[in-house]
Amino acid sequence: MTPAEVAAAQQSGAVLLDMRLPRVFAKAHVPGAVNLQFNRADLADRADMALSREPAYLVHAEPEAIAKVAVDLMREAGFHILGHLEGGLAGWRAAGLPTATIAVISVDDLAQAGSSLQAIDARDRFEFKHAHVPGASWLSWTDAWSRAGEAPTGPLAVICGDEVRSSLVASILHRHGRDVRLVVGGMVNWNERGFPVEKGQP
Amino acid sequence: MILKQFRYENLGQASYLVGCVRSKEAIVVDPIADLGVDHYVLEAADRGLAVTHVLETHVHADFISCARELAEAFGADHRLFHTAPVKYSFTPLEDLQTLTIGQVHVQVLATPGHTPEHVAFLVTDRARSGEPWFVLTGDSLFVGDVGRPDLLIGDQALDVLDESERARMQYESIRTRLFALPDHVEVYPGHYGGSACGGINMSGKVSSTIYFEKRFNQAMQQPDAETFGRFVKETAKPFPANYAGIKSRNLGLTAEERTVV
Repeated sequence: MTPAEVAAAQQSGAVLLDMRLPRVFAKAHVPGAVNLQFNRADLADRADMALSREPAYLVHAEPEAIAKVAVDLMREAGFHILGHLEGGLAGWRAAGLPTATIAVISVDDLAQAGSSLQAIDARDRFEFKHAHVPGASWLSWTDAWSRAGEAPTGPLAVICGDEVRSSLVASILHRHGRDVRLVVGGMVNWNERGFPVEKGQP
Repeated sequence: MILKQFRYENLGQASYLVGCVRSKEAIVVDPIADLGVDHYVLEAADRGLAVTHVLETHVHADFISCARELAEAFGADHRLFHTAPVKYSFTPLEDLQTLTIGQVHVQVLATPGHTPEHVAFLVTDRARSGEPWFVLTGDSLFVGDVGRPDLLIGDQALDVLDESERARMQYESIRTRLFALPDHVEVYPGHYGGSACGGINMSGKVSSTIYFEKRFNQAMQQPDAETFGRFVKETAKPFPANYAGIKSRNLGLTAEERTVV
Protein backbone atom coordinates (compact mmCIF):
# COMPACT_ATOMS: atom_id res chain seq x y z
CA MET A 1 0.00 0.00 0.00
CA THR A 2 1.21 3.52 -0.75
CA PRO A 3 1.90 5.91 2.13
CA ALA A 4 -1.29 7.81 1.28
CA GLU A 5 -3.35 4.59 1.37
CA VAL A 6 -1.80 3.65 4.71
CA ALA A 7 -2.55 7.09 6.14
CA ALA A 8 -6.14 6.87 4.93
CA ALA A 9 -6.57 3.40 6.45
CA GLN A 10 -5.25 4.73 9.76
CA GLN A 11 -7.83 7.50 9.59
CA SER A 12 -10.49 4.81 9.25
CA GLY A 13 -9.29 3.05 12.40
CA ALA A 14 -6.68 0.59 11.11
CA VAL A 15 -3.67 0.12 13.39
CA LEU A 16 -0.16 0.13 11.94
CA LEU A 17 2.15 -2.55 13.35
CA ASP A 18 5.76 -1.41 13.07
CA MET A 19 7.89 -4.57 13.17
CA ARG A 20 11.34 -2.98 13.14
CA LEU A 21 13.79 -3.08 16.03
CA PRO A 22 12.76 -0.95 19.04
CA ARG A 23 15.83 1.31 18.83
CA VAL A 24 15.09 2.03 15.18
CA PHE A 25 11.37 2.49 15.88
CA ALA A 26 12.07 4.96 18.70
CA LYS A 27 14.05 7.26 16.40
CA ALA A 28 11.27 7.74 13.86
CA HIS A 29 8.02 5.96 13.01
CA VAL A 30 4.61 6.49 11.51
CA PRO A 31 2.53 8.34 14.14
CA GLY A 32 0.22 5.99 16.02
CA ALA A 33 2.21 2.86 15.14
CA VAL A 34 2.48 -0.02 17.59
CA ASN A 35 5.96 -1.58 17.81
CA LEU A 36 5.68 -5.37 17.56
CA GLN A 37 9.14 -6.67 16.67
CA PHE A 38 9.19 -9.27 13.89
CA ASN A 39 10.31 -12.84 14.11
CA ARG A 40 8.95 -15.86 12.32
CA ALA A 41 8.83 -18.16 15.34
CA ASP A 42 6.07 -16.52 17.35
CA LEU A 43 5.02 -13.23 15.74
CA ALA A 44 1.37 -14.21 15.43
CA ASP A 45 1.30 -15.77 18.91
CA ARG A 46 2.68 -12.59 20.44
CA ALA A 47 0.23 -10.51 18.44
CA ASP A 48 -2.56 -12.71 19.76
CA MET A 49 -1.43 -12.20 23.35
CA ALA A 50 -0.79 -8.48 23.03
CA LEU A 51 -3.47 -7.12 20.70
CA SER A 52 -7.18 -7.22 20.03
CA ARG A 53 -8.37 -9.05 16.94
CA GLU A 54 -10.96 -6.40 16.33
CA PRO A 55 -9.25 -3.66 14.32
CA ALA A 56 -7.81 -3.98 10.85
CA TYR A 57 -4.04 -3.88 10.85
CA LEU A 58 -1.28 -2.59 8.58
CA VAL A 59 2.33 -3.74 8.58
CA HIS A 60 5.55 -1.75 8.39
CA ALA A 61 8.84 -3.68 8.27
CA GLU A 62 12.20 -3.12 6.62
CA PRO A 63 13.70 -4.52 4.46
CA GLU A 64 10.34 -5.03 2.75
CA ALA A 65 10.85 -8.79 2.35
CA ILE A 66 10.10 -9.00 6.08
CA ALA A 67 6.81 -7.14 5.66
CA LYS A 68 5.58 -9.65 3.07
CA VAL A 69 6.35 -12.61 5.34
CA ALA A 70 4.77 -10.82 8.30
CA VAL A 71 1.54 -10.13 6.39
CA ASP A 72 1.28 -13.83 5.47
CA LEU A 73 1.95 -15.01 9.03
CA MET A 74 -0.59 -12.62 10.52
CA ARG A 75 -3.26 -13.50 7.94
CA GLU A 76 -2.70 -17.22 8.51
CA ALA A 77 -3.33 -16.59 12.20
CA GLY A 78 -6.62 -14.92 11.36
CA PHE A 79 -5.75 -11.26 11.77
CA HIS A 80 -7.34 -8.80 9.40
CA ILE A 81 -4.32 -7.35 7.59
CA LEU A 82 -4.95 -4.70 4.96
CA GLY A 83 -1.40 -4.72 3.59
CA HIS A 84 2.07 -3.34 4.17
CA LEU A 85 3.63 0.09 3.81
CA GLU A 86 5.51 0.15 0.51
CA GLY A 87 8.78 2.03 0.40
CA GLY A 88 9.20 1.95 4.17
CA LEU A 89 9.77 5.08 6.24
CA ALA A 90 11.75 6.73 3.43
CA GLY A 91 8.69 6.45 1.19
CA TRP A 92 6.46 7.77 3.96
CA ARG A 93 8.68 10.82 4.38
CA ALA A 94 8.97 11.32 0.62
CA ALA A 95 5.17 11.52 0.54
CA GLY A 96 5.46 14.50 2.89
CA LEU A 97 3.92 12.68 5.85
CA PRO A 98 4.99 13.37 9.45
CA THR A 99 6.88 10.97 11.76
CA ALA A 100 6.85 10.50 15.52
CA THR A 101 9.61 9.61 17.98
CA ILE A 102 9.78 8.05 21.42
CA ALA A 103 12.51 9.36 23.73
CA VAL A 104 15.09 6.79 24.76
CA ILE A 105 16.84 6.76 28.14
CA SER A 106 19.46 4.51 29.76
CA VAL A 107 19.08 2.69 33.08
CA ASP A 108 21.41 5.32 34.57
CA ASP A 109 19.00 8.04 33.46
CA LEU A 110 16.16 6.13 35.08
CA ALA A 111 18.08 5.62 38.34
CA GLN A 112 18.96 9.31 38.52
CA ALA A 113 15.45 10.49 37.67
CA GLY A 114 14.12 9.36 41.05
CA SER A 115 10.47 10.26 41.54
CA SER A 116 10.36 12.59 38.53
CA LEU A 117 9.78 9.51 36.31
CA GLN A 118 7.33 6.69 36.97
CA ALA A 119 8.81 3.34 35.91
CA ILE A 120 6.39 1.01 34.12
CA ASP A 121 7.43 -2.65 34.04
CA ALA A 122 6.16 -4.36 30.85
CA ARG A 123 7.29 -7.91 31.65
CA ASP A 124 5.28 -10.93 32.75
CA ARG A 125 4.03 -11.21 36.32
CA PHE A 126 6.60 -13.79 37.46
CA GLU A 127 9.45 -11.59 36.29
CA PHE A 128 8.06 -8.54 38.09
CA LYS A 129 7.57 -10.61 41.23
CA HIS A 130 11.17 -11.83 41.14
CA ALA A 131 12.76 -8.36 40.90
CA HIS A 132 11.75 -4.94 39.61
CA VAL A 133 12.83 -1.31 39.72
CA PRO A 134 11.79 0.07 43.16
CA GLY A 135 8.46 1.86 42.88
CA ALA A 136 7.76 0.49 39.39
CA SER A 137 4.17 -0.10 38.46
CA TRP A 138 3.26 -3.21 36.46
CA LEU A 139 1.62 -3.03 33.05
CA SER A 140 2.33 -6.28 31.28
CA TRP A 141 2.76 -6.31 27.51
CA THR A 142 -0.24 -8.64 27.31
CA ASP A 143 -2.46 -6.14 29.16
CA ALA A 144 -1.31 -2.83 27.74
CA TRP A 145 -3.67 -2.84 24.75
CA SER A 146 -6.78 -3.09 26.93
CA ARG A 147 -5.53 -1.33 30.07
CA ALA A 148 -3.36 1.54 28.81
CA GLY A 149 -5.88 3.98 30.29
CA GLU A 150 -5.10 2.69 33.79
CA ALA A 151 -1.42 3.65 33.60
CA PRO A 152 -0.29 6.26 36.12
CA THR A 153 -0.40 9.87 34.91
CA GLY A 154 2.74 11.98 34.48
CA PRO A 155 6.05 11.19 32.80
CA LEU A 156 6.51 7.43 32.28
CA ALA A 157 9.60 5.27 31.60
CA VAL A 158 8.83 1.77 30.29
CA ILE A 159 11.24 -1.08 31.01
CA CYS A 160 11.35 -4.84 30.32
CA GLY A 161 14.16 -7.40 30.06
CA ASP A 162 15.83 -5.67 27.13
CA GLU A 163 13.47 -3.44 25.12
CA VAL A 164 11.19 -5.52 22.94
CA ARG A 165 8.15 -5.74 25.23
CA SER A 166 8.79 -2.28 26.73
CA SER A 167 8.78 -0.72 23.28
CA LEU A 168 5.44 -2.41 22.52
CA VAL A 169 3.94 -0.99 25.71
CA ALA A 170 5.58 2.42 25.23
CA SER A 171 4.14 2.65 21.71
CA ILE A 172 0.64 1.78 22.98
CA LEU A 173 0.90 4.39 25.75
CA HIS A 174 2.16 6.90 23.19
CA ARG A 175 -0.95 6.22 21.08
CA HIS A 176 -2.96 7.15 24.16
CA GLY A 177 -1.16 10.49 24.30
CA ARG A 178 0.95 9.61 27.34
CA ASP A 179 4.31 11.27 28.04
CA VAL A 180 6.42 8.15 27.64
CA ARG A 181 10.08 7.13 27.17
CA LEU A 182 11.79 3.81 26.52
CA VAL A 183 14.52 2.44 28.80
CA VAL A 184 17.07 0.75 26.51
CA GLY A 185 19.00 -2.20 27.86
CA GLY A 186 16.20 -2.96 30.32
CA MET A 187 16.53 -4.99 33.51
CA VAL A 188 19.64 -6.74 32.14
CA ASN A 189 21.50 -3.42 32.23
CA TRP A 190 19.79 -2.34 35.46
CA ASN A 191 21.04 -5.45 37.25
CA GLU A 192 24.50 -5.23 35.68
CA ARG A 193 24.89 -1.70 37.02
CA GLY A 194 24.05 -3.06 40.48
CA PHE A 195 21.03 -0.80 41.01
CA PRO A 196 18.61 -1.85 43.78
CA VAL A 197 15.54 -3.97 43.08
CA GLU A 198 12.31 -4.71 44.88
CA LYS A 199 10.57 -8.07 45.03
CA GLY A 200 6.90 -8.89 45.34
CA GLN A 201 3.53 -8.98 43.65
CA PRO A 202 2.25 -5.96 41.70
CA MET B 1 26.88 -13.15 21.12
CA ILE B 2 25.19 -14.88 18.25
CA LEU B 3 26.91 -17.11 15.68
CA LYS B 4 24.84 -18.69 12.93
CA GLN B 5 26.45 -20.86 10.28
CA PHE B 6 24.47 -21.04 7.03
CA ARG B 7 25.28 -24.16 5.06
CA TYR B 8 24.52 -24.43 1.37
CA GLU B 9 24.87 -28.18 1.04
CA ASN B 10 24.98 -28.41 -2.77
CA LEU B 11 28.32 -26.60 -2.81
CA GLY B 12 29.54 -27.34 0.71
CA GLN B 13 29.60 -23.59 1.23
CA ALA B 14 29.32 -21.87 4.61
CA SER B 15 28.35 -18.26 5.32
CA TYR B 16 27.93 -16.64 8.70
CA LEU B 17 25.89 -14.25 10.80
CA VAL B 18 27.82 -12.91 13.80
CA GLY B 19 26.04 -10.54 16.15
CA CYS B 20 25.89 -8.91 19.55
CA VAL B 21 22.69 -9.49 21.53
CA ARG B 22 23.26 -6.26 23.45
CA SER B 23 23.86 -3.81 20.67
CA LYS B 24 21.50 -5.73 18.31
CA GLU B 25 24.04 -5.34 15.52
CA ALA B 26 25.45 -8.04 13.30
CA ILE B 27 27.70 -8.77 10.36
CA VAL B 28 27.18 -11.26 7.55
CA VAL B 29 30.22 -12.99 6.05
CA ASP B 30 30.36 -14.51 2.54
CA PRO B 31 26.61 -14.55 1.67
CA ILE B 32 25.71 -16.81 -1.26
CA ALA B 33 23.14 -15.90 -3.92
CA ASP B 34 21.84 -19.49 -4.01
CA LEU B 35 20.39 -18.95 -0.52
CA GLY B 36 19.32 -15.43 -1.49
CA VAL B 37 19.22 -11.99 0.09
CA ASP B 38 15.85 -12.58 1.78
CA HIS B 39 17.18 -15.66 3.57
CA TYR B 40 19.78 -13.57 5.40
CA VAL B 41 17.34 -10.70 5.93
CA LEU B 42 14.83 -12.97 7.66
CA GLU B 43 17.41 -14.86 9.72
CA ALA B 44 18.80 -11.56 11.07
CA ALA B 45 15.27 -10.27 11.74
CA ASP B 46 14.35 -13.49 13.59
CA ARG B 47 17.14 -12.67 16.05
CA GLY B 48 16.30 -8.97 16.33
CA LEU B 49 19.59 -7.96 14.70
CA ALA B 50 20.40 -5.14 12.28
CA VAL B 51 23.16 -6.03 9.82
CA THR B 52 25.68 -3.18 9.75
CA HIS B 53 28.48 -4.73 7.66
CA VAL B 54 28.55 -7.36 4.93
CA LEU B 55 32.04 -8.83 4.73
CA GLU B 56 33.70 -11.16 2.26
CA THR B 57 36.85 -13.15 2.92
CA HIS B 58 37.76 -12.85 -0.78
CA VAL B 59 36.27 -12.64 -4.27
CA HIS B 60 34.73 -16.06 -4.78
CA ALA B 61 35.12 -18.27 -7.81
CA ASP B 62 32.73 -21.14 -7.09
CA PHE B 63 29.48 -19.37 -6.23
CA ILE B 64 27.73 -16.09 -7.00
CA SER B 65 28.02 -13.69 -4.08
CA CYS B 66 25.01 -11.63 -2.95
CA ALA B 67 27.08 -9.38 -0.67
CA ARG B 68 26.42 -6.22 -2.66
CA GLU B 69 22.67 -6.83 -2.81
CA LEU B 70 22.50 -7.75 0.88
CA ALA B 71 24.44 -4.64 1.91
CA GLU B 72 22.02 -2.54 -0.12
CA ALA B 73 18.97 -4.18 1.46
CA PHE B 74 20.26 -3.35 4.95
CA GLY B 75 21.80 0.01 4.16
CA ALA B 76 25.03 -1.62 5.39
CA ASP B 77 28.51 -1.34 3.91
CA HIS B 78 30.17 -4.03 1.81
CA ARG B 79 33.74 -4.72 2.82
CA LEU B 80 36.59 -6.55 1.11
CA PHE B 81 40.35 -6.39 1.61
CA HIS B 82 41.66 -3.16 0.08
CA THR B 83 43.57 -4.94 -2.71
CA ALA B 84 40.48 -6.72 -4.11
CA PRO B 85 40.61 -6.12 -7.90
CA VAL B 86 36.85 -5.59 -8.29
CA LYS B 87 35.12 -3.15 -10.64
CA TYR B 88 32.62 -1.74 -8.14
CA SER B 89 33.01 0.38 -5.04
CA PHE B 90 33.38 -1.17 -1.59
CA THR B 91 34.66 -0.21 1.85
CA PRO B 92 38.30 -1.34 2.08
CA LEU B 93 39.55 -3.51 4.94
CA GLU B 94 43.10 -3.21 6.27
CA ASP B 95 45.22 -5.93 7.84
CA LEU B 96 44.71 -6.11 11.63
CA GLN B 97 41.84 -3.63 11.53
CA THR B 98 39.17 -4.33 14.14
CA LEU B 99 35.44 -3.90 13.55
CA THR B 100 33.37 -3.40 16.69
CA ILE B 101 29.89 -4.91 16.75
CA GLY B 102 28.72 -4.11 20.26
CA GLN B 103 30.77 -6.37 22.51
CA VAL B 104 31.94 -8.49 19.59
CA HIS B 105 35.27 -7.56 18.02
CA VAL B 106 36.18 -8.78 14.54
CA GLN B 107 39.81 -8.50 13.52
CA VAL B 108 40.99 -8.69 9.92
CA LEU B 109 43.86 -11.12 9.31
CA ALA B 110 45.39 -10.88 5.85
CA THR B 111 45.80 -14.49 4.70
CA PRO B 112 46.74 -14.38 1.00
CA GLY B 113 47.05 -17.68 -0.85
CA HIS B 114 43.75 -18.95 -2.25
CA THR B 115 43.52 -15.42 -3.65
CA PRO B 116 45.84 -12.44 -3.10
CA GLU B 117 43.15 -10.38 -1.32
CA HIS B 118 42.09 -13.17 1.04
CA VAL B 119 41.42 -12.34 4.71
CA ALA B 120 40.27 -14.31 7.74
CA PHE B 121 38.13 -12.79 10.51
CA LEU B 122 39.18 -13.38 14.11
CA VAL B 123 36.27 -12.99 16.50
CA THR B 124 36.40 -12.07 20.19
CA ASP B 125 33.33 -11.87 22.41
CA ARG B 126 34.36 -9.35 25.03
CA ALA B 127 31.28 -10.20 27.08
CA ARG B 128 33.02 -13.54 27.71
CA SER B 129 36.74 -12.85 27.43
CA GLY B 130 39.42 -10.67 25.85
CA GLU B 131 40.81 -13.85 24.23
CA PRO B 132 39.72 -14.63 20.68
CA TRP B 133 37.07 -17.36 20.45
CA PHE B 134 36.91 -18.38 16.81
CA VAL B 135 38.16 -17.50 13.36
CA LEU B 136 36.24 -17.44 10.09
CA THR B 137 38.92 -18.79 7.79
CA GLY B 138 37.20 -18.43 4.41
CA ASP B 139 39.21 -20.43 1.85
CA SER B 140 42.53 -20.43 3.70
CA LEU B 141 42.36 -23.19 6.32
CA PHE B 142 39.62 -25.80 5.95
CA VAL B 143 38.75 -28.68 8.25
CA GLY B 144 41.27 -31.31 7.14
CA ASP B 145 42.39 -29.40 4.05
CA VAL B 146 43.30 -25.99 2.61
CA GLY B 147 41.92 -23.67 -0.07
CA ARG B 148 43.24 -24.48 -3.55
CA PRO B 149 45.66 -21.99 -5.12
CA ASP B 150 44.83 -22.66 -8.77
CA LEU B 151 41.50 -20.93 -9.49
CA LEU B 152 42.92 -18.40 -11.94
CA ILE B 153 40.87 -16.73 -14.65
CA GLY B 154 43.79 -16.26 -17.06
CA ASP B 155 44.00 -12.46 -16.83
CA GLN B 156 47.26 -11.58 -15.14
CA ALA B 157 46.14 -8.14 -13.99
CA LEU B 158 43.22 -9.71 -12.11
CA ASP B 159 44.90 -12.96 -11.06
CA VAL B 160 47.91 -10.95 -9.73
CA LEU B 161 49.76 -14.08 -8.55
CA ASP B 162 50.31 -17.39 -10.29
CA GLU B 163 49.52 -20.79 -8.85
CA SER B 164 52.92 -21.52 -7.30
CA GLU B 165 53.11 -18.07 -5.67
CA ARG B 166 49.64 -18.56 -4.28
CA ALA B 167 50.53 -22.01 -2.93
CA ARG B 168 53.59 -20.62 -1.16
CA MET B 169 51.57 -17.74 0.34
CA GLN B 170 48.79 -20.07 1.45
CA TYR B 171 51.29 -22.20 3.36
CA GLU B 172 52.89 -19.16 4.99
CA SER B 173 49.56 -17.45 5.78
CA ILE B 174 48.24 -20.51 7.56
CA ARG B 175 51.54 -21.20 9.33
CA THR B 176 52.36 -17.67 10.46
CA ARG B 177 48.92 -16.09 10.90
CA LEU B 178 46.37 -18.80 11.73
CA PHE B 179 48.61 -21.34 13.49
CA ALA B 180 49.99 -18.46 15.58
CA LEU B 181 46.54 -18.09 17.20
CA PRO B 182 45.83 -19.68 20.59
CA ASP B 183 45.18 -23.44 20.33
CA HIS B 184 41.63 -23.12 21.67
CA VAL B 185 40.48 -20.87 18.81
CA GLU B 186 37.73 -22.55 16.80
CA VAL B 187 37.94 -22.74 13.03
CA TYR B 188 34.84 -21.97 10.97
CA PRO B 189 35.68 -22.46 7.29
CA GLY B 190 34.16 -21.09 4.10
CA HIS B 191 33.75 -24.62 2.72
CA TYR B 192 33.34 -28.15 3.99
CA GLY B 193 32.59 -31.64 2.70
CA GLY B 194 32.21 -31.97 -1.03
CA SER B 195 33.30 -28.45 -1.96
CA ALA B 196 35.61 -28.25 -4.97
CA CYS B 197 37.51 -25.32 -3.40
CA GLY B 198 39.70 -27.67 -1.38
CA GLY B 199 41.17 -31.11 -1.89
CA ILE B 200 40.18 -34.71 -1.27
CA ASN B 201 41.02 -34.51 2.43
CA MET B 202 38.38 -31.91 3.27
CA SER B 203 36.20 -33.08 6.15
CA GLY B 204 32.42 -33.10 6.21
CA LYS B 205 32.69 -31.66 9.73
CA VAL B 206 31.75 -27.99 9.73
CA SER B 207 34.16 -26.64 12.35
CA SER B 208 37.43 -27.52 14.05
CA THR B 209 40.09 -25.90 16.26
CA ILE B 210 43.50 -24.41 15.56
CA TYR B 211 45.06 -27.12 17.73
CA PHE B 212 43.40 -30.00 15.88
CA GLU B 213 44.29 -28.64 12.44
CA LYS B 214 47.85 -27.85 13.52
CA ARG B 215 48.28 -31.48 14.51
CA PHE B 216 46.23 -33.33 11.91
CA ASN B 217 45.72 -31.19 8.80
CA GLN B 218 47.62 -33.25 6.23
CA ALA B 219 48.49 -30.43 3.86
CA MET B 220 49.93 -28.45 6.74
CA GLN B 221 52.01 -31.41 7.92
CA GLN B 222 54.22 -30.91 4.84
CA PRO B 223 57.69 -29.68 5.84
CA ASP B 224 57.93 -26.66 3.55
CA ALA B 225 55.99 -24.52 1.09
CA GLU B 226 57.28 -26.35 -1.95
CA THR B 227 56.26 -29.80 -0.71
CA PHE B 228 52.96 -28.28 0.40
CA GLY B 229 52.40 -26.97 -3.15
CA ARG B 230 52.98 -30.43 -4.63
CA PHE B 231 50.77 -32.09 -2.03
CA VAL B 232 47.90 -29.67 -2.70
CA LYS B 233 48.16 -30.27 -6.45
CA GLU B 234 48.21 -34.05 -6.03
CA THR B 235 45.19 -34.05 -3.71
CA ALA B 236 43.13 -31.49 -5.67
CA LYS B 237 39.61 -32.19 -6.89
CA PRO B 238 38.32 -31.33 -10.37
CA PHE B 239 37.86 -27.60 -10.90
CA PRO B 240 34.56 -26.10 -9.71
CA ALA B 241 32.02 -25.69 -12.51
CA ASN B 242 32.21 -22.43 -14.47
CA TYR B 243 34.66 -20.88 -12.01
CA ALA B 244 36.11 -18.28 -14.39
CA GLY B 245 32.61 -17.07 -15.30
CA ILE B 246 31.49 -16.91 -11.69
CA LYS B 247 34.65 -15.11 -10.66
CA SER B 248 34.15 -12.57 -13.46
CA ARG B 249 30.65 -11.91 -12.22
CA ASN B 250 31.85 -11.45 -8.63
CA LEU B 251 34.63 -9.13 -9.80
CA GLY B 252 31.99 -6.97 -11.46
CA LEU B 253 33.39 -7.62 -14.97
CA THR B 254 30.12 -9.08 -16.19
CA ALA B 255 26.73 -8.13 -14.85
CA GLU B 256 24.77 -11.25 -15.52
CA GLU B 257 26.97 -14.32 -15.10
CA ARG B 258 24.50 -16.23 -13.00
CA THR B 259 24.85 -19.65 -14.59
CA VAL B 260 25.97 -22.21 -12.08
CA VAL B 261 26.32 -25.41 -14.07
